[in-house]
Amino acid sequence: MECVVQGIIETQHVEALEILLQGLCGVLKERLRIHEICLKSGPNLGVVASEVRLLCDLEQPEPTWTVRHIGGAMRGAGAEQISVLVRTMVESKVSKNVLRLFYALGYKLDHELLRVGFAFHFQRGAQITVTVSSVNKMLKLHATDEAVPVTPGIQMVEVTAPASAENYTEVVSAVSSFCEYLAPLLHLSKPGISTGVVPTAAAAAASLMSDGGGTTL
Amino acid sequence: MPLKWVLHWQPNAGSTVNSQILSEVSQCVESINGLKQGRWKATLTLYKPHTRGIYASFSFHFIIFLIVKLHNYPTPPPLPEPSLAAEFPRDFQGVSVPEQPNKYYFIIRGQRIVLEADSSIQTIMEKLQSYKTRIALNIDGFQYQLGDFQLRVGKVSPTHSENLRGIVMEVEYLPISSMEKARQIMGEFLEIWQEAVSKRSLPGQFMHIEPNFAEYGLADHYTSQHTAVQYAIVMAQVIATVQAVQSVRN
Repeated sequence: MECVVQGIIETQHVEALEILLQGLCGVLKERLRIHEICLKSGPNLGVVASEVRLLCDLEQPEPTWTVRHIGGAMRGAGAEQISVLVRTMVESKVSKNVLRLFYALGYKLDHELLRVGFAFHFQRGAQITVTVSSVNKMLKLHATDEAVPVTPGIQMVEVTAPASAENYTEVVSAVSSFCEYLAPLLHLSKPGISTGVVPTAAAAAASLMSDGGGTTL
Repeated sequence: MPLKWVLHWQPNAGSTVNSQILSEVSQCVESINGLKQGRWKATLTLYKPHTRGIYASFSFHFIIFLIVKLHNYPTPPPLPEPSLAAEFPRDFQGVSVPEQPNKYYFIIRGQRIVLEADSSIQTIMEKLQSYKTRIALNIDGFQYQLGDFQLRVGKVSPTHSENLRGIVMEVEYLPISSMEKARQIMGEFLEIWQEAVSKRSLPGQFMHIEPNFAEYGLADHYTSQHTAVQYAIVMAQVIATVQAVQSVRN
């Protein structure tokens, strides 16, 4: 399981967000360059239609591959009330021929993306990961060198933390409280519920840029 | 890592594998001074696709309409069988090997694919619900040390059953990782081993089938992916032997 919230920020304020995150997390950022391939089951395959993501980490000296399956979100009155999405998520590191295997099994390419940006991994009540990235699409199949932004001028921010059925309430509260620190720059909400950019972003970014994150927001 | 050959017991025509043979083979390892160590385990799974077929996309009312319409014919014409066999691999296998308990391997022999993954890939496959288990086999037994060689003898049985379906033996040569460099010594060891087994006049023999690893994109330097490919081939042999015996009985 994982807890997740997403938001967007204008590219001009990303540097300020980076300064803020650096101050909050106390760790160095990691560069992010992920080629994401989304596959869907062919028309006759499976009890139900299924979807799986293959992630290729292009930042590594030798690209590494991961299979990710995102399952259904937690439902019910309790889930509605919390501001963080709790969903099943399973990952497996795999060898580089994974795309060939899934094609052989009857899966088809649905779409592919290139995420470029940075990430912070840190412990703050939960093992939190914040990624800030621009989402790019490929004009030609697998041509990651020729990718162009899907939404120029806008970057995506995602906060995730692994959780289990036993501890997800604590993880949800850890993620929620962390998100409050970012509130002047961006608003984070459950995936699929877009809240747009926040009006205070420009002022907050200017403040952060002027004193390098020393001021408490 | 050290290289290994995976062998399977091939019963003589008309005979079947039984626990007496397994016991004799184990005694045979001890008779050539094999020092019994711990237990070991491997698992093999043959998957089949969950196919929806053409009728899955029809609505309930349309199926009722079809049934009523066909019922009105003097001789109902047969519903066309969707031909999906060619669309999906029929030899999709999953293997866990003793030396890598946290890994899982997928093999499609027809297309010469071997994939190494974390064990959690099994959970992903379950969640995708696109393939289901057709046959699941366990291999378990004892490990023996014999100088620079490590031998593992295991019985093959279906999961949740004790029925013996085959015998598998791993011969591992600890000092060498190159398949080519070890070929001669492995061959010589196998000759000594076959001679020791033949003294017991058992109705069958151990067979070694060496796959063309290069076709799977595997190099001369031995890895667990080499082991997985060998198990996939052994599994196919065991299933073929069991099916051949069953067809003779029927």
